[in-house]
Amino acid sequence: MINITYLIVQIIVVIAIAPLVNGIIKKIKALSQKRKGAPILQLYYDLYKLLKKDTVVSDTTSWIFKAAPYIVFTSSLVAAMLVPVTTMLDPIWLAGDLILMVYLLALGRFFMMLAGLDAASTFGGMGASREAMISSLIEPSILVSLITVGLTAGSTSSYQIMEYMKYVDTPLIRPVYFMAFIALFIVTIAETARIPVDDPSTHLELTMVHEAMLLEYSGRGLALMELGASIKQLTFITLLANIFIPHDQLILISGVGAVVLSVLIYVIKIVFISILIAVAEVSTVKLRLFSIPNIAALAFILSFIGFMQYFVLGR
Amino acid sequence: MENYYDLLSVLILLSSFVLVANKKTNAYIKTFRIQSAFIALTAGIMGWSSAVNEGKYDILIVCAIIVALKVIYIPHLLNKTYGNIEYRIEKDFFLNIPILIIICCGLVVFSYFSVSNIGTLTGFHINHQVVNSFSVVLIGFFFMISRKKAIGQIIGYLVIENGIFVTAMFSTHGMPFIVDIGIFIDMITAVMIMGIMVTRINVKFESINIDKLSKLKG
Repeated sequence: MINITYLIVQIIVVIAIAPLVNGIIKKIKALSQKRKGAPILQLYYDLYKLLKKDTVVSDTTSWIFKAAPYIVFTSSLVAAMLVPVTTMLDPIWLAGDLILMVYLLALGRFFMMLAGLDAASTFGGMGASREAMISSLIEPSILVSLITVGLTAGSTSSYQIMEYMKYVDTPLIRPVYFMAFIALFIVTIAETARIPVDDPSTHLELTMVHEAMLLEYSGRGLALMELGASIKQLTFITLLANIFIPHDQLILISGVGAVVLSVLIYVIKIVFISILIAVAEVSTVKLRLFSIPNIAALAFILSFIGFMQYFVLGR
Repeated sequence: MENYYDLLSVLILLSSFVLVANKKTNAYIKTFRIQSAFIALTAGIMGWSSAVNEGKYDILIVCAIIVALKVIYIPHLLNKTYGNIEYRIEKDFFLNIPILIIICCGLVVFSYFSVSNIGTLTGFHINHQVVNSFSVVLIGFFFMISRKKAIGQIIGYLVIENGIFVTAMFSTHGMPFIVDIGIFIDMITAVMIMGIMVTRINVKFESINIDKLSKLKG
């Protein structure tokens, strides 16, 4: 029974909050440029409108083009299931861990790249090849930092790690967790197509990466792709928020009230980390494509130094 | 308290990695300034605790000297030198940046395996901080040999100096005051001489690329 509750809470919270993060980041960017900007709930309206519209599919495409939005959406939703928004509910039924999460997201990305290539537009192929490059560069730092945290907790399951982190006294002043936090922060920026790596507000520009693969989509397919991308972004932000800034140990009550309170605090943390990402995005410029290996190397270094600190401190 | 020292030692190590990943000369100077600020913060925390516990104020004076010299004066001097020369961005490396960074990773591993077995260093936290700050020394050396322009090599020298200073500070929690002062005087003399040298090299050879120094000029 309680597992079904977990499932329902997780799905509702993830789908309801994911577009909010985009709205907050866009709003802060607009405010920093002295514009009023779109309302915070804009992506919800966009998705609602897109879901009502018809889909246009090119004649030259194969089944991959039609299947890709569903695969992208479900893979990122299942990946989001593996990262609990609240540790008050026990996800015993889960068989997966953080490594499965990383590769489920990679599966979604793989199909997104195939769909970009499938329509045979020039932009699609370019975007797909760039996405392949960025994702292969950034993958080592995700795995090293997550496995370092996993080593300290003695498990790779995200629920177990979160349970362990509850009882670590102020995680962010410990070198291991601090380094892993910054590495995952850079990874989040790179994975969610934010500014040093890719500009999310570009459309029909030569520098676009994520948008280039979605150019051919319309209607429901585009809505699912956009929602899948924002769920993926929320998954990474949830990892940052719930592993490194644990909050459930502060809640002393139990039962339904505890879950509601926990989710509320979770939303506050998500807003806080979105503000951090927006500030990082406002204060940097977009890098050249060939400078991306440098930032990926920096993220890898951060996770590697974190791993070395674990070695030094852990023995 | 030890946790803050741990974190600061890691941040000092990280800033030297950021230095290796940079290309622009003014970014070197900015990163050096940030690294020195972290060192000043460490010295400040140490000095505060020794002033409260033992009533000694010498580490606080050292902290003030670090702020005055390394955070304000030397970066200012380097910025002035940088204004006089033509090269803004280091274009030609011996190796590209990701490989430089991976070699620096190897240096960290090396210093972990070599330093952590020294028997005379006692204490779990001190050992860990010394591993980090000794890696800063090695990365400073490596930075120095990986850059071709003279101004990058000055920064490398300063990073080595920072690393040695931090190693001493973490392992002893405050050296004798006269030793600190001696180190600072040496460093400031060296930087001033090197600043003048760079300007002279630039005037004579119209470049600060040290490769050109091996050619004879008649």
